[in-house]
Amino acid sequence: MTIKYSALDWKLILAATLLTLIGVVLIMSAQHNASTEYQQNYYQRQLIWFAIAFFIFAVIVHIPPKLFDLLAYVIYGFSILLLILVLFVGTAKMGALRWFSFGSINFAPSDLAKVALLFALSRFLAYTKLPVASKRRLALTSFMVAVPVLLILKQPDLGTSLVFLVVLFVLWFWSGLSPFYLLLIVSPIISLITASHWLAWAIYFVLLLIFLFTIRPGLLFGVITVITNLAFGAVMPFLWNHLADYQKLRILTFLDPGRDPRGAGYQIIQSKIAIGSGGIFGKGLLNGSQTRLDFLPEPHTDFIFSVLGEEFGLFGALILLFLFGVIFYRAIRIAMHCRSKFSSLLVMGAAGIIMFQFIVNIGMALGFMPVTGLPLPFVSYGGTSLVLFWALIGFMVAAEARWQEY
Amino acid sequence: MSQFKLSIDNREKLSYIFIVLIFLTLIIGLFKLQILEHAGLAKQSENNRIRVESIIPRRGIVTDRNGQIIIDNRPSYTVSVVPAEIVKGKTIENLSELIALDTNLIRKRIRRNMVSRYQPSPVKRDISFEIVAILEEQYKKFPGVVYQMERVRQYNRQLGAETYTGYVGEVSENELKKIADAELHLGSIIGKKGIEKKYDAILRGREGTKYIEITASGQLVGEYADKNKIPAEPGSNLVLSIDNDLQIASTQAFDTFCCGAIVAMDPRNGEILAMASFPGYDANIFSSVIPESLWNEIRDDSTHPLLNRPLKGLYPPGSTVKFVGVGAGLEEGLITENTKYKPCIGGYQFGNRFFGCWKESGHGSLNAAHTLEQSCDTYMYQLGLKLGVDKLSEYYRECGFGIKTDVDLPQEASGLNPNTTYYDKRYGKRKWSIGLVLNNSIGQGELLVTPLQLARFFCGLANNGIVYKPHIVKKIQYFDKTETIIEPEIAFTLPFSKNTLKILYEGLSLVVDGKHGTAKKLKNEYYSIGGKTGTSENPHGENHSWFAAVAPLEDPEIVVVAIVENSGHGSEIAAPLVGKIIKSYMAKKLGIPLDEVDADVAQSGDSL
Repeated sequence: MTIKYSALDWKLILAATLLTLIGVVLIMSAQHNASTEYQQNYYQRQLIWFAIAFFIFAVIVHIPPKLFDLLAYVIYGFSILLLILVLFVGTAKMGALRWFSFGSINFAPSDLAKVALLFALSRFLAYTKLPVASKRRLALTSFMVAVPVLLILKQPDLGTSLVFLVVLFVLWFWSGLSPFYLLLIVSPIISLITASHWLAWAIYFVLLLIFLFTIRPGLLFGVITVITNLAFGAVMPFLWNHLADYQKLRILTFLDPGRDPRGAGYQIIQSKIAIGSGGIFGKGLLNGSQTRLDFLPEPHTDFIFSVLGEEFGLFGALILLFLFGVIFYRAIRIAMHCRSKFSSLLVMGAAGIIMFQFIVNIGMALGFMPVTGLPLPFVSYGGTSLVLFWALIGFMVAAEARWQEY
Repeated sequence: MSQFKLSIDNREKLSYIFIVLIFLTLIIGLFKLQILEHAGLAKQSENNRIRVESIIPRRGIVTDRNGQIIIDNRPSYTVSVVPAEIVKGKTIENLSELIALDTNLIRKRIRRNMVSRYQPSPVKRDISFEIVAILEEQYKKFPGVVYQMERVRQYNRQLGAETYTGYVGEVSENELKKIADAELHLGSIIGKKGIEKKYDAILRGREGTKYIEITASGQLVGEYADKNKIPAEPGSNLVLSIDNDLQIASTQAFDTFCCGAIVAMDPRNGEILAMASFPGYDANIFSSVIPESLWNEIRDDSTHPLLNRPLKGLYPPGSTVKFVGVGAGLEEGLITENTKYKPCIGGYQFGNRFFGCWKESGHGSLNAAHTLEQSCDTYMYQLGLKLGVDKLSEYYRECGFGIKTDVDLPQEASGLNPNTTYYDKRYGKRKWSIGLVLNNSIGQGELLVTPLQLARFFCGLANNGIVYKPHIVKKIQYFDKTETIIEPEIAFTLPFSKNTLKILYEGLSLVVDGKHGTAKKLKNEYYSIGGKTGTSENPHGENHSWFAAVAPLEDPEIVVVAIVENSGHGSEIAAPLVGKIIKSYMAKKLGIPLDEVDADVAQSGDSL
C-alpha cells in the first residue's frame, strides 16, 4: 500500500504545520510570565505533542480510507463505551468530567467520539438508499448523534456537544439535503432563543409560518416543524432551569458582557482590548501587555487568538485567517475530487469540525459569540486536540492521495 | 421532494459562499477592533497595566539651632489588605487575631481607605517587627494581606517640645476641602499642629509619580520602564531657634509641678530658645493610628495636656505687668522717678472698699523703682486711678497685650485687654465701677495674657524698648542645599522714652539685686539677673505663680517667663524655677560647671 509523496496535498500539510508552529510561538508568549516553570514550558510540551500528532497523521495517511469505512461502526461503538466509562472514572477539571488521566497525560474521549461519529455518519450516508429528506434517514442519523451528545451533555460540555450537531448538519448538507431543510430543522433552536421574550418569539413564529407556506415542504414536515417550534418556545423556561450555572452564566454574559466584569464578560472585554490595542502590526512578540500581565484569561487555550491579535496585530490575524482559508479551500477541493462517497463525506465532516471550532473560537475572541471553551484548531495548547486536528488533516490527505479509489 | 435535493455543484458553490461570508464577518470584526476602535482600546490596555502611584517624599527633618534633632523620621511598617484578594473566613479573621483589632473595625478601615479593589487599603500603621515577621513566614494564612514600609515621624520625647513641634496625621475630609493643594489626597499625611502645620507645605515636599505595572489580579510586576517617573522632591529641613539643652533644662526644672508654661526668648532678635507646655503629651502616638481609648484619655484629662499653654493659655499676669503702669505714669507726666504716693499701710481705701497690698504690714512710701522692686500694690492702685481705665488699657495694648504676637506657630490666642468699650459691653453702660482700674493696674481682673505675650514684653524691656516678633524657625534648608534664613522682624517699640526705660530697668534689676527684692535669692556672683515676680489670684484655687527674668543685665540675651498654675507665690515657685533655667543657660555660656553656680532657690516667704 505505498503512496506517492507527490500525490500528497502539500499545501494543506504546510498550512496546518504553519498554524501549529504559530501556535507554539503564541503559547510561549502567552505563558512567558507564568508563575510556574511548568506553565512556562507549555510551548515545549506543545512541540512534543506536535511530533506525536504528526506521527499519527503520517500513520493515517498510510491507512486507506476504506479501512475506516469498514470499521466505522466498531469504532463508533467503542467511543460510546469510553464516553460512558469517563462518567465513572474520569478526572474532573474546572467542574466538568471530561478526562481520562494516564499519569500526567489527559485524554478526552469526546475527541475520539468526534472522529468516531464522523466515520459512522459518513458510512451510513454514503451507502443508504433512503431518500435525502426521508424521515427515517433524518431520524436514524439524528439518533446516531444523540447518543454521544447526551453522554457529553451529562459531563457536561456544551461546546463539544455542539461540534457533534455541526458534524450532522454538514454531512446532511453534503449528502444533498437542501439548506432550506436545515433552516427548518434549526428553527426550534431559534424558537428557544427568541422565547426569552414573547413578542420576539411571536414575530419569529409568524415569519416561520410564512416561510413554510412559501416552500411547502410537505404536510407532515410542516406540522412537525410547527409543533416543535411551539414546544421549544414554551419549553424554554423549563430547559433554562436545567442548564448548569456556568452555562447560564455564559449565555447571560454573552447577551450582556457588562453584567459581570470579573466573570466571563470580563474575559470578553479583556480579549477585545487585547486585540484592539494590537492595531495593524501589533505590539510585537512578548510585548503584549494584556497577555503578559494576566489580563487575558487562559491565553494559551481559549484566548490564543487574542494573543495573536495583540502581539501581531491585524497583519498577523490575516495571515492566520489565510492559512485556515487554505485548509477549508483544500478540503472542499478534495471532497469534490475524490470518487469515494465515504471519503468525500469524511473530508467535509472533518472540515466542518475545524470550521466550527475556528468560527466559535475567533468569534468569541472578537466578542461575537459566548465563551464556550472550544480551542482554536492547531493553534491552542492541548495535546489531544492537536492530535485530533492532525488526524482530520490526515483523513483529508489520505483521501486526496487515493482520490481515484471507490 | 426533489426541490430539497441539492446538486453537487450547488453544494460546492454554497460551501464557498458560506466560507467567504464567515471570513468577511471575521475580517470586519478585526477591522472594527484593530483599526476603528484601536485608539480607545489601546488606551484601555495602557490603563489596564499601568498604575500611577505617588512617591511619598521624605518629610523634612527639624533640628535645633545647633543641629540637634527635634523631629526625625523612622521606618515603620503599615499593614494593608487588598480588598479583591480577601478570602472569606480567613483574611480578616486571622489578621484580627494577629494585630488585635476587631474584625468590624478592620472592615471599616478597609472600606474607608479603599482606593480600588485591587490596591492595598491600609488597616494599621506602625506594626511591630514581630508581626511583620509572622506575616512574612505564614503568608498563606493571610491571603490578600500586605505590608509596606513607610516613614513615620519621630519626636524627641526628651524635649517635651510638642507645644511647637505639633504632630502629623492623616488629612481629614474637612482639611482636604479647606487646603487648596492639588497634591493632597485621602491618606496623605499632613501637619496637624505646631510647626508641622504651619510649615507643612515646606516640610512635606512634593510627591513624585511612578508608573507601576500590575497584573490583572493586582500583582506588582515592577516599575514601568517606558515612562519616566517624576521623582519626589524631599521636604525641606527646618532649623529652629530652639536650644535643645535649654529646652531639656526647662522641662526638667518644671518636673515637680503639674501645669504651666515656660517661654525662653532672645530679646535681641525675638528667637524662641525654649518653650514648653505642662503637662505635655507624646506627639509620637499621633504618628501611628491612635487608639480611641488613648485619644479619649488625653482629651478628657482634667489637666488638659493638649492645651498649648504658651500660646493659648490665658492667665491674669499679676504683678509682672506693673512695669506698664509705672511706665505709663512716667510717660504721662503723672509721676517722676522720685514721686511718692500715700504710704502703703497694707492696702488702699477706695470709696467704701479696701484694696489690700500683698504685704499686710505695708511698704511705707516708695518711689517708682522700689515699687517695682517690692511690688507694692498700694502705689499701683493710686497710679492706676490717675491713669484711668482707658489710658492704662492703651499702654497695655502698646506693650503688646491683647494682641497676637504673630509667632510662626498656628492657633495663637490674643488675650484680653479690657477698656471702657469692653466694660460697657459686658456690664452695660456706666454699670461698672471705676474701681476696676485698680485691679487692672496690678495685673488682675479681666486682663488676660499669654505667657508668650509676657515674654515678648520683657524682651522689649531688655532690648531698649525694641520688640521683635517672636519666631521659632531660624532657617529653611531646601533639598537642593540652598537656604533661607528667617531675618528678625521688629514688631513694635515700647511706648516709653529712654529715661522711662532706664527707670523700669532699674526696678527690674532691684527685684533680684535690691535689699527687699522679691527674688533676691537669685542673686549670684557669676552673672547679673533681673526680673519680676507675679502672683495672680485665681478664683478657682491656689494662685498662679509667675516669674519673668532677664539675664545678663548689662547686655541681656535671654528672657525667661514661667507660670506654674495653682502653686502659690511667684517668689516661692516660679522664681527659683526660672532661676534654674537661667543658670543652665549662663553656665553653658560662661563655661562653668552648673553646681558651682550659686544661684539657688529663694526660700524666704517674705517677698512677692
